[in-house]
Amino acid sequence: MILGSVYGLMTMGLSLIFGVLKIVNVGHGAFMMVGAYIAYWMFHLLGLSPIISIPIALAAGMALGYFFFQIVIAKLTTAAELTTLLATFAMGILLEESARFLWGPDYRGFSWNVGRLMLPPVAIIPLGKIYALISSSIVALLLYLWFKKGRSGSAVRAVMEDREGARVCGINVGRIYALSFSVGIGLTVLSGNLLTLFVPVGINPYMGGVYTLKAFVIAVLGGLSSPWGAFFAGFLFGLIENGSYTIFGLVPGLEPFSMTQFFAFFLLLMILLWKPTGLFGTK
Amino acid sequence: MKRLEKFLPLLPVYLFYGLLFLFGRSVEGMWQPAALAAFYAALGQAFNVFLGMTGYVDFGYVAFMALGAYGMALTISNFYTIAWLDGWLILMGLIAAALFSGALSVAVGAIALRLRGAYFAIATVGVNEGFRFLLEGVKLWGGSEGIVISSKLRTAFGTEGASELSTFWADVFVFLIAGLAAFVTLRYMQSRIGYALTALREDEDAAKSMGIYTTKYKLIAFITSSALAGLIGATAWTLKLTYVFPADAFAIHYTVEAIVIVILGGAGTLMGPVVGGVLYAVLKYGLGVTFPGLQLLILAPIILAIIVLFPEGIVGVLKTRVQGTVLQKFIV
Repeated sequence: MILGSVYGLMTMGLSLIFGVLKIVNVGHGAFMMVGAYIAYWMFHLLGLSPIISIPIALAAGMALGYFFFQIVIAKLTTAAELTTLLATFAMGILLEESARFLWGPDYRGFSWNVGRLMLPPVAIIPLGKIYALISSSIVALLLYLWFKKGRSGSAVRAVMEDREGARVCGINVGRIYALSFSVGIGLTVLSGNLLTLFVPVGINPYMGGVYTLKAFVIAVLGGLSSPWGAFFAGFLFGLIENGSYTIFGLVPGLEPFSMTQFFAFFLLLMILLWKPTGLFGTK
Repeated sequence: MKRLEKFLPLLPVYLFYGLLFLFGRSVEGMWQPAALAAFYAALGQAFNVFLGMTGYVDFGYVAFMALGAYGMALTISNFYTIAWLDGWLILMGLIAAALFSGALSVAVGAIALRLRGAYFAIATVGVNEGFRFLLEGVKLWGGSEGIVISSKLRTAFGTEGASELSTFWADVFVFLIAGLAAFVTLRYMQSRIGYALTALREDEDAAKSMGIYTTKYKLIAFITSSALAGLIGATAWTLKLTYVFPADAFAIHYTVEAIVIVILGGAGTLMGPVVGGVLYAVLKYGLGVTFPGLQLLILAPIILAIIVLFPEGIVGVLKTRVQGTVLQKFIV
C-alpha cells in the first residue's frame, strides 16, 4: 500500500510525458534504474541517505531529460508512434548498457538503518518506508501546486488539452515540450531513487523492465494522460498487487507471483477496452 | 509476359535470398551468420505485413512467435513416438504453429484493433506479458521450465537426423518462410487489400467514410503477419534451439528488433525489411565480433540516429530516387 505512493510518482512522470507530447516512454524503467543508482552511489560513497539525494535525483533526471529532448525528441514531436516508441526504447537500451558498461552487471544493494515504526497491533513498518511515503506525497503536492497555480504549470495544462489552441494563445509549445519532458524524466528518476527505500537490494542495469510494465498498467488505470489519476492509481495498484498475491497464494497449483502479474495485465486490457480514459477519467 | 510482369519486384528479393543461401553454404563458417540474416529478414517481412501496411505498432508481436514455437514443441512432444509420421511430424508442427498464432491473433485482433496509436501499442504489450505470466502462473505447457524437445527429436529422427534438422533444415525453413512472406506481401500490395490498407494507414476515418471496411482488412493483415511470425518461431526457435522457455520466447526485445528492421529498411515496402534485416544482422554480428558485450551500447545510438535522420528508411529513399527509371518495376 505504501509502495503505491512510489508507484504513483513513477507513473506521474510517464503520464506527464504522454499527456503533453503524446509519446509513450518505453524506456521508462531505465530512467528509474538511473535513480536507483544515484541513491546507491550517494549512500555508498558519500554516506548520504536516499532522502537527501531526492533533489539530486530530480536535478539529474531533469538534466538527462533535457539532454535527450534536445537530441532526439525535439525532432519527433509530430512523428508517428512507431518512431517515438522505438526512439524511447533505444534511449532505454542506451542507459541500461551505459550503466552496465560503467558499473558492471552485478546486483547491488545497501542497507540504510533508520529504525522501525512500531504499531503493535497492526504491523511494524520500517521508518524508511514512512519517509518514502511522506516525501513522495510532498513531491506530488508540489507538482499539483505548480500545475494549478504556477504560470508554466498552467501552460503545460493548456498544451495537454489543445496543442494548436495553446499555440494560438501565444504559448511557446516547443518550450513546454522541453519542460514537460525534463520534469517527467526528473520525476521518473526521482521515483527510482525512492524505490530503493523499499527494495534496497537488486539494483542492477536491467532492473527497470518490470517497472516500465507496471507503470503502463497504472497509467492506464488512472487515464493515460492524467498525472493526478496516475498518482492515485498508484495506490490502488499497490493494493491490488498485494491483495491478489495473497489470494492467488491460497490457490494450490498456482504460482502466485506470475498470477499477480497476469492479473495486472488482464486488468490493463479490460480497462483499455471499457474505459480508455481511466478509472478517474472525466470524459 | 504481361501477367508475369507484376511479379518482377520479387526478382531482386529472391535473387538476394538465393545469393545469401549460396554464400552461407559455400563459405566455411558462414552458414550460421547467413541463417541469422535470413531470420531477421524473415522477421522483418512478416512484421511488415502488419506494421508497414497498417501503421499500427504491435509492441507484443513476439507473442505470436512464441505461440508458434509452442505449437511446434507441443506437436513434437505429443506425437514423437509415432514412427510412421517421420517428416510429416514437422509439417504437422508447422501447421500447429500457424494455427496457434493465428488463433491468438484473431482473439487479440478482435479486441485490441479497436484501439489506436499508443493505446494499441500498450494493449499488445499487455497481451504479450499477460500471456507469458499466465503460462508461468498456471504452469501450463511446462510453466516457467518450458519444453525441451532435444531428446524427443533424437527418438523421432535418430541422432544424426536430429542434429541435421536443427543445424540445417531449420534454417532452410526460415529461408522458405522468408520467400513466402515476400510473395504474400507483394500479392497484398497489388490487390484490394493493399489499397485498403494504404488508405487506412494514411487516414483511417477518411478510409472508413469512403466505405472501406477497415476492421476486416486490418484483421486480414494482422492474422497473416501473426501466422508468419508463428512459423518463424516454430522453425528458428523450436527446431533450431530444441527448447522453448517462456522468459526467452516472450522477450520484448525481439519485437523491438523487428521494428528496427522494418524502419531501417523502409516501412511498407517489399524490399525494405530484407535490406533492413540483413543490414541489422551484419551490424549486430559484426559489432558482436569486434566489440563483444558492447554491441547494444553501440547499436542504440545508431538506431536513434537513423530514426532522426532517415525516417523513411533505406528502401523508402531509394524508391523515390528510382521513380521514372527502368528500375521502378523492381523496387516497390
